[in-house]
Amino acid sequence: MKTQRPGYTLERFLGGPVMWTGLVLATLFAMGPFFWVFLASVKTRVELYAAPITYIPTHPTFMNYVDAWTSRLTPFSTFFANSLWVSSVTMVATIVISTLAGYALARFRFVGKNTLMLVFLATQMFPAVLLIAPLLSQWHALGLIDTYQALIYSNFSFTVPFTVWMLVGYFESIPRELEESAMIDGSGRFGALLRIIVPLAAPGIAATAIFAFVSSWSELLFATTFTSRTDMRTLSAGLLYMVGQYEIQWGQLGAGVIISTIPVAILFVFLQKHLIQGLTAGAMKG
Amino acid sequence: MGTQPTSVATPAPRLFLSHATRETIANYMYLLPAALCLGGTVLFPILKAMHMSLYQNVLIRPQDYRFIGLGNYVRLIHDPTFWLSLQNSFVWVFFSVSLQFLFGFLVALVLNGKFFGRAVFRTINLLPWIIPGVVVALIWEYIYQPNYGPLNDLLRRAGLMQVPVAWLSDVDLAMPAVVFTNVWRGIPFFSIMILAGLQAIPAEIYEAATVDGAAVFQRFWHITLPMLRPIIVVATATRIIWTFNYADLIFVMTNGGPANATQITSNYTLMQAYTDLDWGYAATLSVVLLLIMLVFTALYLKISKGVESVAG
Repeated sequence: MKTQRPGYTLERFLGGPVMWTGLVLATLFAMGPFFWVFLASVKTRVELYAAPITYIPTHPTFMNYVDAWTSRLTPFSTFFANSLWVSSVTMVATIVISTLAGYALARFRFVGKNTLMLVFLATQMFPAVLLIAPLLSQWHALGLIDTYQALIYSNFSFTVPFTVWMLVGYFESIPRELEESAMIDGSGRFGALLRIIVPLAAPGIAATAIFAFVSSWSELLFATTFTSRTDMRTLSAGLLYMVGQYEIQWGQLGAGVIISTIPVAILFVFLQKHLIQGLTAGAMKG
Repeated sequence: MGTQPTSVATPAPRLFLSHATRETIANYMYLLPAALCLGGTVLFPILKAMHMSLYQNVLIRPQDYRFIGLGNYVRLIHDPTFWLSLQNSFVWVFFSVSLQFLFGFLVALVLNGKFFGRAVFRTINLLPWIIPGVVVALIWEYIYQPNYGPLNDLLRRAGLMQVPVAWLSDVDLAMPAVVFTNVWRGIPFFSIMILAGLQAIPAEIYEAATVDGAAVFQRFWHITLPMLRPIIVVATATRIIWTFNYADLIFVMTNGGPANATQITSNYTLMQAYTDLDWGYAATLSVVLLLIMLVFTALYLKISKGVESVAG
């Protein structure tokens, strides 16, 4: 039998029961609120306002989802389509813009390059509320109120600085020789970027893509300020509108919450590895 | 680098600019889209906000629109609600970030263990962070709801409460309630960061320490914590900035109420713009918010440089 090291029992205890208890508690805490809202979203009106509270619905129904999706006052189908469009376009445009800029900052010598990097970093620290008033007057002057463009352009203010900052790190980690040999073989710099660098940096680009999509999907203040028509609202703005306008219908609202959560949750499950790598790489670099 | 092959298809008959200059221009073109984005959506709006802050500009009183110089800033200095909001912001940031850090650290240690289904547990534990802020706010508004919400019901069933409590409309409970919500939301951020840091620590160091007879808490204190220091500094600083600026949760849940008990500066700015329609004063508040953040960011960069040189 192995001689026991000091503290071996304690270690076994920490790695066994303590870890499992912690895991269960943390998971319950993280998921409990989602369960509650999901259960509410499949309850009938009677059960929603029953006293004492019913936790498990006896007659689960998806009527709240149908109502929320087809409602004329708060049409979640429209909100969903708007969110999907705004977030997707923001994501694609952000990637193109940030890949070009990130590559340039990683490879070329510029006057004021360090200052520029500092600007990209500092921009991430700016409060969103700072931009609301000036952007509103700007979009108003350009006639962009109640357009997708206003929301997409505004989203660039937080997606572009962060993704550029993240991608510079990725591109710097790819050896210069790879694209230089491609350039000697006759492709221009842009061709080398597309054929050599982009495939190699794919995990980093995927991470920035998810970041751009998820943060645009969550965006609330721009979406409420720069749209006034119901058919232009995103999910976040639509949910807020729903709360502001009527007595809160928790069943429909619960359905709306679940509808808003599912796409980002799915995206996250599939791509969490990339996202976490990208985020932590960005943060560790500081 | 210097000799980029000239394309055969487009011969340049006359070179206006030297090769080097043209390449420099070509290089700047890569930055142009990002520069346009930042110029149009960040830098120009910030200048515009500074400009707006010098005007009396209340949307419902357009006849009073005029240049008042630093009038709004003078008003801000004498505005007790601003100072209260700053104090509330401090409470909001301090308790949100320190509790997120504490629980995030514990979750990271748990998730760093080796067990069946680890990937699934990790994903589940990270979910609260990825969903939209308004969704978080509404979920918790429902949980805190005095009559139909589960929190009061659970506390009553557990025998911990006799009279139902209106969490979000009680002057003393509203701030703890929104902070708790923010903690729920922010724990995953710290656990992601710290988990990544934990996994970057080479296993050999622990093994060597174990052989030398270091017990589990000693290893934690003398290896884990020092090795995690850089990532802890970076994660905490970015989180402090982010939390200070973040208004969504409070904006949806309490809008600063009751009686300004949860009025943080970023939400106060929004309220000036949306409720009082005082865009000049809102711009002033946002400029001050920006100044505070710039000072903090400068400090943070200094500190993180120090950490880098120590760690690197």
